[in-house]
Amino acid sequence: MSILEVRDVSKNFGGLAALGDVNLTIEEGTIHSLIGPNGAGKSTLLNVLVGLLEPDVGTVMFKGKAVLGNAPYEINQMGLGRVFQTPAIFDDLSVLENVAIAAYAARDGGFAFNVFETPATAKPCIDLAKETLQDVGLFEQRKTEACHLSRGDKRRLEMALCLARKPDLLLLDEPTAGMARADTENTIKLLQRISDKGGITMVIVEHDMNVVFSLSKYITCLAGGRVIAEGLPDEMKGNPKVIEAYLGTESEE
Amino acid sequence: MVNSIFLQFLTGMQLGAIYVMISLGLALIFGTLGVVNFAHGAMFMLAAYFGVIISESLGWGAAIFLVPAIMFAIGLAMERGLIRYFYTRPHTDQILVTFGLAIVVQELLKWQFGANNLPFATPDWGTGITRLHDYLPFLEGFVAYPKWRLIVTAVSLITVAALFALLQFTTFGLVVRAGMRDPEMLRLLGVNITQRFSIVFAIGVMIAGIAGVFGGPVTQVDPAIGMVFLVPSFLVVVIGGMGSLPGTVLASFIIGLAISFTATIPALANIIIYVIAIGILLFRPRGLMGQKGVME
Amino acid sequence: MSKVNTDFYKKDIKPIAIFSIVLLTLPFWFEYIGGYKGLDTKIVIWIIFAIGFDLLLGYMGFLSFGHAAFFGTSAYATGLMLLHFSDNIIPAMLVGIASAIAMAFIIGFLTLKRTGIYFSILTLAFGEMLHSMVLSTLQNWTGGDNGLTGLQSPMLMGMKMDGELMYYFTVIIAIVAYYVARRIIRSPFGLMLVAIKSNQVRLEYTGVNVARYKLMGFVISAVYAGLAGSLMVVYEPYVASEFLSWHLSGHVVIMTVLGGVGTLVGPMVGVGFMLYFENVLSVYMGEQWMLVLGLIFMLTVIFLPGGFMQLFGKMKSIFTGGK
Repeated sequence: MSILEVRDVSKNFGGLAALGDVNLTIEEGTIHSLIGPNGAGKSTLLNVLVGLLEPDVGTVMFKGKAVLGNAPYEINQMGLGRVFQTPAIFDDLSVLENVAIAAYAARDGGFAFNVFETPATAKPCIDLAKETLQDVGLFEQRKTEACHLSRGDKRRLEMALCLARKPDLLLLDEPTAGMARADTENTIKLLQRISDKGGITMVIVEHDMNVVFSLSKYITCLAGGRVIAEGLPDEMKGNPKVIEAYLGTESEE
Repeated sequence: MVNSIFLQFLTGMQLGAIYVMISLGLALIFGTLGVVNFAHGAMFMLAAYFGVIISESLGWGAAIFLVPAIMFAIGLAMERGLIRYFYTRPHTDQILVTFGLAIVVQELLKWQFGANNLPFATPDWGTGITRLHDYLPFLEGFVAYPKWRLIVTAVSLITVAALFALLQFTTFGLVVRAGMRDPEMLRLLGVNITQRFSIVFAIGVMIAGIAGVFGGPVTQVDPAIGMVFLVPSFLVVVIGGMGSLPGTVLASFIIGLAISFTATIPALANIIIYVIAIGILLFRPRGLMGQKGVME
Repeated sequence: MSKVNTDFYKKDIKPIAIFSIVLLTLPFWFEYIGGYKGLDTKIVIWIIFAIGFDLLLGYMGFLSFGHAAFFGTSAYATGLMLLHFSDNIIPAMLVGIASAIAMAFIIGFLTLKRTGIYFSILTLAFGEMLHSMVLSTLQNWTGGDNGLTGLQSPMLMGMKMDGELMYYFTVIIAIVAYYVARRIIRSPFGLMLVAIKSNQVRLEYTGVNVARYKLMGFVISAVYAGLAGSLMVVYEPYVASEFLSWHLSGHVVIMTVLGGVGTLVGPMVGVGFMLYFENVLSVYMGEQWMLVLGLIFMLTVIFLPGGFMQLFGKMKSIFTGGK
């Protein structure tokens, strides 16, 4: 069952073809990686998927509904979450508050004028937030101000934020970028754990092949804005086109 | 008929002339440094006061040269002594501190000179009227216009031209323009921003100073004019498009003309600038010539 | 230090109690510190104004330079009601506040979409626009420069609203207003406001309709401003055109920042400080009180951005041995 379908998406930036005829199908419940050399269009594609960019042509269907034309918050309410390259969290708020926001957003939809809400009715959301923090291993630090967390912990916090929203699809933009070995291993384990829990699909843009091959069920390789190869990890490992795409850009330098 | 339209046109241009000098300084400072200077109107006002004092004690010739120079120095001092420390602070802090400065300047002037209008006499060579009908054949009969207003308009056009020449034809100008487009890039390229920031800020204040010394005799000179001119200047920059200097120039004169041509209906003339601004906000948020996505 | 509590809110009792006691007893000790009758009512009215303003600036992070628009609109509406309709303050105040709300929806819609800087500039502009309109375009209804005069004495249930009655009426409203503000910031709605200040983009991508929250936050702060504006007219049955000027907008900005943004209590201190300066110390200082205040304001923004609250915090840590 496909949860996300990208059809014939093209995007030009003043003569530069960032994306050309991209077709992509994401299977529900899988971890699907997007790889490709720098400038291949991965970030552009991600931006199209979350509604930040409008393609010149093409459609993006999420759970059978069109994504494009909706505001970013509406797309999130549809079930699409995004983890940013640089952890985007609420720096001046505590860890618990960060996730509570997501929990409230899950419960209330886009807006709720609940100015007089009592702690009693808010409790389920706070409990969900605490639970999510337990899942990612940040429960102990729930009262810490988010800006005081280490980078790895910020990344985990962002993931908790996204998870509390109970997304159907989570887009991760280079989740291990700039991470040391230990952190990367922890992230891989965390993502595996989340995926195993079930009910969630993940699309990961990654450079670290270790991460890609440990986690992915499917891999799609982009180069020059086009899909040049896709398939199972084993198929991709020795795929000449993929190798050429990576090595090709290196030899040009 | 032609007469009155032409006169209204002249008045509109003269109004725009004052707005353009104040607004350009504001736009320049905001475009390059990203600083919103709520004290900018106060700078204009301060220059007008300097104009009065110096023209009365040392003569107008001295005033024309000294006031812009003094304002340039004040601008440098302001940037080095205050504004610089706010680049890394949140924008609201910048606004607050310059607002505070505007109040302090206003109160200082009120304290020293009183709250009333200070008479600002034009120089002998600039006083009186110009017989326009001597120069322009299409005017009927006797048509005169205050000489000084024409001078203000001319000075403003020269100043604008000079500023654009500076920006277009010098390396300094190139760096400034690049900075307006992409300040990050400049930093990455290792260009020494700090010194240039001071100078850009000082130029902005200086131009407002030119507006003050030449415009002073036309507008009132009292402690309230700082704020009176700040709001329209902001709106001019917004209407023209933040980040676009040509837009600011265009908007200044459009506003000036709009006010002038609606002058017969005071109820409208007083709010026409807001009407235009709202129109822009609703239908073209980036302003007349602003780049899409910049400061929207 | 997180300002928003996701826990239980019994913590409201102490602050509300202190607030109530201070204000309810104020008339008795006010004269000993130089205050005079009538000034106390003014202070409480401004406190209401400042609480709402702090919600917008300290919590949601938006600096409005045009809040006089709501104070003044409500004041004029209330005044017009008293002038043309009846001397009963209830309908007058309700109309006043309703008009402030309407104005807030309009201005909010036009200004909130922009970045913070743009917002500050535009709110200033709209305030001035209304000021301009009241002075010229609408002067037949508003009395132009002279303001609205000749208003009937405001009455509440047959009692004339002045002196002590007016003061305690205002205090009760202020206590309720303060309590409501505390409830707001403790609620999920309040958490969203603080989230807006922290990271709007992240909030948007977490499925929150940020635009709606911004607008509602703005309108709520306008309600406080409108309430203050209508109370001011009941207190002194005269509507000055200055009620719409940037001076007034600037006043509430200064009070809130001096006192300490984002604390709700700080702005109250700021109000007291500024009004004290203006009305009591100015007798000794003369016309320069605003100059001195302006300098104090600048110094505060530069060195002590947390205002008096930050100062008290520092003093407290000195006395308790520091951290």
